[in-house]
Amino acid sequence: MSQAILDQLKEGVVNYDEEAVITAANEALAQEMDAHSAIFDGLVPGMVEVGRLYEEQEYFVPEMLMCADAMYAGLNILKPHMKKKEGSANGVVVMGVVQGDVHDIGKNIVRMMFDASGFEVHDLGRDVPLDKFVEEQLKTDSNLVCLSAMMTTTMVGMKEIIEKIKEKNPKCKIMIGGAPVTEDIASRWGADGYARDANNALKDAINMISSLKSIS
Amino acid sequence: MIDAKKKDVLIRDSNKERCVMLSLTPRERVLNLFAGKEVDRPACYSGMGNVTTAALEEMGCKFQELHGDAAKMARAGASSYRLFGYESAVIPFDLCVEAEALGCAMNPYDEVEQLLYPTIKEKIIHSEEEITTFPIPADLLERGRINVICEAIRLLKQDVGQEVAVGTYLLGPFTLAGQLMDLNDLFKLTFKKPDKVNAMLDRLADVQIGIGKKFYEAGADYISVREMGATTDVLSPKTFDKVIAPHLKKIFAGLPGNNILHICGGTNSVIKIMNECGAGALSIEFKNDMVKTRTEIGSGPLVFGQVDAYNVLVTGKSDDVVKGVLASLDAGVDAVWPGCDIWPTAPLENLRAMVETVKEHGANRWARKKG
Repeated sequence: MSQAILDQLKEGVVNYDEEAVITAANEALAQEMDAHSAIFDGLVPGMVEVGRLYEEQEYFVPEMLMCADAMYAGLNILKPHMKKKEGSANGVVVMGVVQGDVHDIGKNIVRMMFDASGFEVHDLGRDVPLDKFVEEQLKTDSNLVCLSAMMTTTMVGMKEIIEKIKEKNPKCKIMIGGAPVTEDIASRWGADGYARDANNALKDAINMISSLKSIS
Repeated sequence: MIDAKKKDVLIRDSNKERCVMLSLTPRERVLNLFAGKEVDRPACYSGMGNVTTAALEEMGCKFQELHGDAAKMARAGASSYRLFGYESAVIPFDLCVEAEALGCAMNPYDEVEQLLYPTIKEKIIHSEEEITTFPIPADLLERGRINVICEAIRLLKQDVGQEVAVGTYLLGPFTLAGQLMDLNDLFKLTFKKPDKVNAMLDRLADVQIGIGKKFYEAGADYISVREMGATTDVLSPKTFDKVIAPHLKKIFAGLPGNNILHICGGTNSVIKIMNECGAGALSIEFKNDMVKTRTEIGSGPLVFGQVDAYNVLVTGKSDDVVKGVLASLDAGVDAVWPGCDIWPTAPLENLRAMVETVKEHGANRWARKKG
């Protein structure tokens, strides 16, 4: 019975069917299914499948955005019922799109995955002045900072942010992403991670935070 | 001392040599190709912004000062020809001209130390309803910085217009739409309500035809239409065909002149559709596999590209630039263009290497010339 609900959640996300996700999420609660399981075994696998379809070029950005809407529809219902700390990654992340860049679609998808995973997210939005990242990192003592840029012309600003944050807080991990970013650039600029897409960003972030905890 | 008669012979001889060598000015080299006339080699130029920090230092001015000042814009536009022999002069340097004329507010980042390209900070469309009803001002062509661009074109024509081709650019309707409204909403509507989005883009195509005509009247030799918001990373080839291509076709049909269609990213899956849009030439970046492109569209269409504007021109060494240029030539481009605006910190020696490599090897390696 509960597997059927999980499948409905997953399928609802994949088929960008908000109504189906809402119905399934409410059904999950009515049956006293664990909210955490509904999210992680229902919605998240749906989004992982969406990521795969995007990679296979069956889905493109419009489809992905609609799937994200469906996923949020489910998260809004299920999240208030999640027991605190349960299985969450418990990380704190500061994220935003660097100044000069107003393209935030990629960042928003990544944010959603952090939200779903129980991260405490400080989303600075888009067109964010470089110093704001440094300030916010210090203020929140986040384990992770994610920088996004969609244009070559704004990507170069990331280098300075990485230097400044690392100077003040060498333990903080920094992940960069966006269309023009390459693995080579990430390593040259001293970033700890590079994400070509949202799925990759989330997996990398969780790995990084666990390694951080095992060291300290 | 040479008497008049002898001098005349000398001039005729040098003219003769000119004919034999087919020594063209950069402007002739650029324009003859569009006209289907014989050309000695591919030109090395661009249809996108290419001011350098070297030029800005020489001018003693900040990037931000260029956008609204026709004289400074024109000086900076001519700088690439003067500093490294680029065969064009292109203005402006930002992508906000049309959106601003339509009523959006631009952020030039006046207060920021680092060099940033302006962005749109206030949009004019705030609901789905408005995408087909937003007002297009009757005096659009007098608004924003459109007259600044026209004045800069005129100044460039007087300054270097005999020697190099003067170019400018327009955004494709979809990319422009993404500045007028929330991009997330635009993408979703493209999928959910393509008819509405098509109606919006049809109006924007008219806007771009009007602005483009004014740029040509001011003296522009060529115009690139940059539809980089509709790359294959974000939209399916099917959507490109149904929602993007019809409006590009409308622009190229309604705007006589030397038009180039530029789209960045891996454009192989849409190159055939791009080729059917009616532009005089296509511009692509290095992510496009040119061999496949030529198989798809044949050797006829003019294709410009495909030097990596950042990873080669900015962070590469001169050797990398030579390699990048030769690779583009061998792949079969008809003019060597960077795949995007040249990021201003690109070292002059790299840019010189780009131009010199085209001069030295362009004729020998040009697939079209080889027949």
